[in-house]
Amino acid sequence: MSNVIGIKEERKNLKVGDSTLRQEFETTDMALFVRTSEESMNDWNRQRIVDALIRETYIDAGTAKEIAKEVEDLIFSSKIKMITAPLIRELVNTKLIERGLEQARKMHTRLGMPLYDVDQLILHPNKENANVPHGPEATNLTLAERIKKEYALLSVFSQETADAHMRGDIHLHDLGFVDRPYCSGQSLEYIKRFGLSLPNSIAMAKPAKHPEVLLAHMVKFAAALQSNFAGAIGWDSVNLFFAPYLVGMSDRDLEQLAQMMIFEFSQQAVARGGQAIFTDLNLYWEVPKHFENVPAIGPGGVTTGKNYSDYLRESQRFAWALFNVYLDGDGSGRPFFFPKPLVHITEKFFQTPGHFDFLHHICEVASEKGNTYFVLDRGETAKISECCRLSFKLEQSDLEDAKEPWKMRYCALQNVTLNLPRIAYLAKGEDTRLFAHLTEFIEIAVKAHLEKKAFIEKLLSIGERGPLALLAMNRDGSPYLRMHRVSYLIGMVGLNEMVQIHTGQEMHQSKQAFKFGLKVIAHMKLLVDKMSERYGMHFVLEQTPAESTAYRFAKLDLRYHSPQSGHIVKGDLSKGEVYYTNSTYLNNSAVLNPIERVRQEGLFHPLIEAGALTHIWLGEAKPSKTSLANFVIKTFRQTQNDQIAFSPEFTTCNACNRTSRGLRSICSYCGSKEVDGITRITGYFTKLSSWNKGKLGELRNRYRNQAYLQTKEGDTVLMAG
Amino acid sequence: MESIKIFVKAKCPRCPAAKEIGIELEKEGVPVFHYDLDTLDGLAEASFYSVLSTPTFIIEDEEERELASWRGMVPTLQEIKQYLSLGR
Repeated sequence: MSNVIGIKEERKNLKVGDSTLRQEFETTDMALFVRTSEESMNDWNRQRIVDALIRETYIDAGTAKEIAKEVEDLIFSSKIKMITAPLIRELVNTKLIERGLEQARKMHTRLGMPLYDVDQLILHPNKENANVPHGPEATNLTLAERIKKEYALLSVFSQETADAHMRGDIHLHDLGFVDRPYCSGQSLEYIKRFGLSLPNSIAMAKPAKHPEVLLAHMVKFAAALQSNFAGAIGWDSVNLFFAPYLVGMSDRDLEQLAQMMIFEFSQQAVARGGQAIFTDLNLYWEVPKHFENVPAIGPGGVTTGKNYSDYLRESQRFAWALFNVYLDGDGSGRPFFFPKPLVHITEKFFQTPGHFDFLHHICEVASEKGNTYFVLDRGETAKISECCRLSFKLEQSDLEDAKEPWKMRYCALQNVTLNLPRIAYLAKGEDTRLFAHLTEFIEIAVKAHLEKKAFIEKLLSIGERGPLALLAMNRDGSPYLRMHRVSYLIGMVGLNEMVQIHTGQEMHQSKQAFKFGLKVIAHMKLLVDKMSERYGMHFVLEQTPAESTAYRFAKLDLRYHSPQSGHIVKGDLSKGEVYYTNSTYLNNSAVLNPIERVRQEGLFHPLIEAGALTHIWLGEAKPSKTSLANFVIKTFRQTQNDQIAFSPEFTTCNACNRTSRGLRSICSYCGSKEVDGITRITGYFTKLSSWNKGKLGELRNRYRNQAYLQTKEGDTVLMAG
Repeated sequence: MESIKIFVKAKCPRCPAAKEIGIELEKEGVPVFHYDLDTLDGLAEASFYSVLSTPTFIIEDEEERELASWRGMVPTLQEIKQYLSLGR
């Protein structure tokens, strides 16, 4: 590949514009040399342009030769001393455009970044994803992502889809990871049964015989999965599946194992871009119904002769130990950012002895450190949570798989989010136009999914010798990634602002506005169901976490829909801290009774099949565990809300390494200004210094339920009524 | 005056009976609103009332406060009439 071309000194004397002289030189005579990416010097050769055009585009050889000659003439007539390969390519591209060969120009595009951008990138942190630290490995990740993003928009997706993304009608998530699926959920049973035998791995490990080894396998497999998925790696029923390995273990050893698990997953020393693995641990106090009579797999990957219902005690002890570790926090007393513990609250939870104490234990963690996610599985529904708020409801076929739990591995292939406020601007107050545009945007999202599916299937078709070898590996009669079980996510941002633009009121301001919001999501739900039937694919609505999308959409609408958008976007326009309200949430700053917010936001949740969550921002308050337990029970019994999380705020000091409650500009212990705030950005905790401007704007606006946190007999109580 | 909201779906074995009760009540002058969960307006309204199973009957007073509801079941006319001023 050509890299840099230098022109030898003698060429300086070449008389440009002298056609006689130009004709005398054939390319082989020209005293140019080319620095190649193979770190060697090649002579200038015009034929290389011809070869590239023939190889990369569909133009004829004659046109290619003409273009190469014209470009050569241009270069030699320019008298420049140094020329870069990207510039040559662009010169060729201008010749293609002059001839109206737009498709050929697209195919001949070079992907890359300007020098200035690379310089900035190496020097400054990436704020698109707060889970990416700043360092050489993170820079590598960002550089690779930039090129893959361009590749995706040029080569994987159609122009219509790519343009819709560029305009900000939709957002195609994780374009920088276009050659991977989005997120996944798995069972420990897979590595318990098959050991750690990964394609391209230099050593194969047999099934673990000891809990510590099982943990090592789990962490390594998670790292391997992180290299093959863009987002979250979820694990189902972790405490239960560990249980057969824990029989007879002392409390001290069990706590040590719990500590190892949390620290292993929380420390950022893993493979991809220095990122901690976005890990979800799904935990149960009871033995989930669908696992009760399943033969348990124990040390060595063999069945123990017992069913999982016989391991309730070990399973509970491990869950308890994990939360002891969460309660202590890390070495500085900070909450662990990962792995995220998701406790499933079910009818059976309330029938299982000890649930009351366990609920108070996890509520204490929720109050002290905020870690606990309460996943509310009502009725007979069983769920696996994957990502911030992505869960899969187990259907009949999944329950069949549950008899052989290693088969229970799920994936969302891609997430496409719709810019709902954009639709309202376009509709100009007319219902018919609004729903027509909404349909049109969903159709584009579906098209994007079809395009991504075709691309991933192409990669998977190469099997274990291809780029997605891990996902193609077949240990149990089907590939690890079961494409026929994959979900395709369609998310939304800014329902609240859409309703505001269209009806003149935000959703919390009137029943009519709220009902209109429900109507929009109902329309989306009915349409994705129709699309699922039409294409034989599982399209589902998801509450997009929108860590950067809510900011991106707001910025783009300020550009394209001003001045109207200036009155609509939330945040601080003067500081550029603008955002739309995430997904179907009510305005973050609205003063609402928290249980009422949970109830109202929960009314959307049955329509959002892939899962949803309501945040209860606590600020610096530390409500009693009893009041949080009451709140959880009330949410479970009296609302339809799928999942809640309580989010406190912290300040961590980089000077004295201590952590205090609330967001402060100086350390309350040592007075240092070297502090950083910590709270949830979307579905996970992270440091404020890594947040984008949009999220900082949202943080300033969050209503922290001050009026509903009262002091009673020395305790702070979160009011649940 | 009270009104009744009846939520039904196409694939729902007990919904025809629910619809019949609605027709009976309409004949007696009770305001009845029918919602089909397979339609946009029906699904949106059902979401607002947390209707997760069909058929569902919800009786409201004039200020749209819920007086009674039957979810996933068909009440008798007598059971419904207990909550209606008409029946008293």
